[in-house]
Amino acid sequence: MRNRINFYLLEYALHSLWRQKSKTLFIGLVLTLLIFLLSALFFIASSIKHELAQSVDALPEITVQKLQGGKHTNIPSSAVDTILSIHGVEDAIARVWGYYYFQKAGVPFVLVGVDPFEEQYKKSLQKIVDNYEISSQEQMLVGRGVYEIFKEHHYEESFNFIKSDGSLYTLPIAGVFTETIELESNDMIILSKQSAREIFAMDADMATDIVVKVANPEEIAMVASKIQLAFPDARIITKEALQISYANIIDYKSGVFLSLFIVSLFTFFMIIYDKLSGLSTQERREIGILKALGWKVELILKEKFYEAALLSFVSYLVGVSVALFYVYILHAPLLRNIFEGYSVLRSSFHLPFVLDFQTLALLFFLSIPLYVAASIIPSWRVATQEADEVMR
Amino acid sequence: MSFFKILFSLSLLLSLSLFANTYEKNAQTKPVLTQQGAQKEWCPVCGMKLESYYKTSHYARLADGKERQYCSIRCLAVDMQEYAIDLSSVRVVDAMSEKVLEASEAFYVMGSDVAGTMTKVSKLAFGTKEDALVFIKEHGGKLVRFEEALKAAQNSLASDVAMVQMKKEKKVYPMGKKIFEKMCAQDIDPTEYLEINALKAALVEKKLCKPLAEKQLQALSLYLWEVKRFGDLEALGDVVKVVKDEKCPVCGMFVAKYPRWTAQIFYGETRFSFDGVKDLMKFYYEPRRWGKYENFTREKISKLLVTDYYSQKAIDGREAFYVLGSDIYGPMGNELIPFASKKDAKTFLMDHKGAKILQFNEIRVEDVYKLDE
Repeated sequence: MRNRINFYLLEYALHSLWRQKSKTLFIGLVLTLLIFLLSALFFIASSIKHELAQSVDALPEITVQKLQGGKHTNIPSSAVDTILSIHGVEDAIARVWGYYYFQKAGVPFVLVGVDPFEEQYKKSLQKIVDNYEISSQEQMLVGRGVYEIFKEHHYEESFNFIKSDGSLYTLPIAGVFTETIELESNDMIILSKQSAREIFAMDADMATDIVVKVANPEEIAMVASKIQLAFPDARIITKEALQISYANIIDYKSGVFLSLFIVSLFTFFMIIYDKLSGLSTQERREIGILKALGWKVELILKEKFYEAALLSFVSYLVGVSVALFYVYILHAPLLRNIFEGYSVLRSSFHLPFVLDFQTLALLFFLSIPLYVAASIIPSWRVATQEADEVMR
Repeated sequence: MSFFKILFSLSLLLSLSLFANTYEKNAQTKPVLTQQGAQKEWCPVCGMKLESYYKTSHYARLADGKERQYCSIRCLAVDMQEYAIDLSSVRVVDAMSEKVLEASEAFYVMGSDVAGTMTKVSKLAFGTKEDALVFIKEHGGKLVRFEEALKAAQNSLASDVAMVQMKKEKKVYPMGKKIFEKMCAQDIDPTEYLEINALKAALVEKKLCKPLAEKQLQALSLYLWEVKRFGDLEALGDVVKVVKDEKCPVCGMFVAKYPRWTAQIFYGETRFSFDGVKDLMKFYYEPRRWGKYENFTREKISKLLVTDYYSQKAIDGREAFYVLGSDIYGPMGNELIPFASKKDAKTFLMDHKGAKILQFNEIRVEDVYKLDE
């Protein structure tokens, strides 16, 4: 019986909120805004994190780059043979890829050379190669973003790449692919390795880097050390290291978030402090009258609890749903800019829908119980006094 | 730190071939091709294009008078295992002038910084001693005669084959298979041809496939010749499969949680899964100890699968090699770690401080329990 909601009290609480319209509106608005801001930030962060984690996960275990004077240079493809002869290596793939800057639009594209008969280093890439089949070598597949930019500049069927010697290299567009991992495929062009080498002015037996698949994760460190010994001038990047560096970028960006977060929290605590420091005379009188009418302390507190819970819960719901709408339907205008620029991407990307219940719970427990406590404690202080003392 | 020394020496060996300068081995003049028919362009042993490796090319005549031309002395050595080749019939291309000369009269430079053809150590022939010495000055190596070069090729044959084989299995065969499936008529029968170069010639002449680059053609031919001819890629490539709620009868743990260690014994339809070879061995020797398993005697075992450490694929447990006492631990601590080949096991033993390598029937029950101490 005790736990059942008292509807008369609830009605009274609603009326009480209505009576103090301006105050209710103000607190509700501040709370909503706060929750909206925080949840929107968290949503964006977790979406981007999810997307990056996905693209890192898809990568092979080890990437081998050749360094010359500390700079990344092309690696001879023959290194693949050496790496393949290491025990524990499942596959090694010489990649030919790079950026091509399209001056007219001011956008860089990612050019990825593939050998259609080779096992691709990524499932998403394998899918594209399988689905579209680059039949002749002189063709390319483009991502949606690339296609749109091409169209803007009237390259509907083919595109002229400018080679390093200034001559043109024309490739017809064989198809447009759409992929789940928006972030990496939007600005991607897939073409044959020969064409990629042609555009980048690379020798036929060179590759940009080599990716190595290791079947047993237990062996990654051993394989990496063997590759390092075989190529003293190589930089060996394991997936783990890549994950850490990606996480670092996100965390750095999250620093901006953190400052926003602290400011918001500070505002919130100001409100709470204001509440805790005492009730207005009007509120005190109201409690006094209720006591004089014969209300028990318990009932008064229950009513105050309803009031506070209603207000904060509604604010929470509204804040979170507005944030969801803002992030996943409007794609977070303004706030997104904080995160942009962590890759050379300029073309837009959609944030994948990831509902992070942990952050939702965190926000819930940060806002509602705090606010409820902040309004009940001073009421309890007043309510325990004698009615005449309160009203005096 | 002997392990590092081994690694280091290994790396030196490998890096030699890697950072070798770019010495072109393909023909600069019109190559002399002595074999008959369209297949004359390729080596009958490995199928590689002779023109691309012309500077290491060798010629020989079989007892029946048939001419053979090889990409290198390595393939000559391979062919000598099969055919009786009169060494006096062997001729070689002069790496300098690209003229064909008697092998017995040639001066060989062995172990220069030029990458070998299908071998780690290159062997280039010269018509005169002077030419060879000039070459040595620039590229290093030592001067030998034909017999010595051939002997070296024969001695390193096993390791050379192993080196190339690894690459073939990991890379070339899967690629060849893909090319075959995508680009070719599916009724090609590689058993119709006597040599790989005949197969290759037929692929080109009869247009059995869409036009292919030489590299792709080579991958396809190798796949057809070395894999398809003997059936197909083995149905391996499968991991040991367990369902979610299977428990190890020995330790009682859920096996699906440890996919890197799973091992299975099949008794016809019934199977038991283990989270490591150690538990499997315990069960194998004393099934009764772990419950009511009286009926599951050793004789009734139909199949025994373990997970290969390197490839993580399912392999036949009774054919596998096991390393004991290494620094790699399974879910139940010290383990017997399974490998498909003895070579794999040896490498692992060195890398991970293993104590010994045993084959399945060499494993005694005491060894297994000793691992728990």
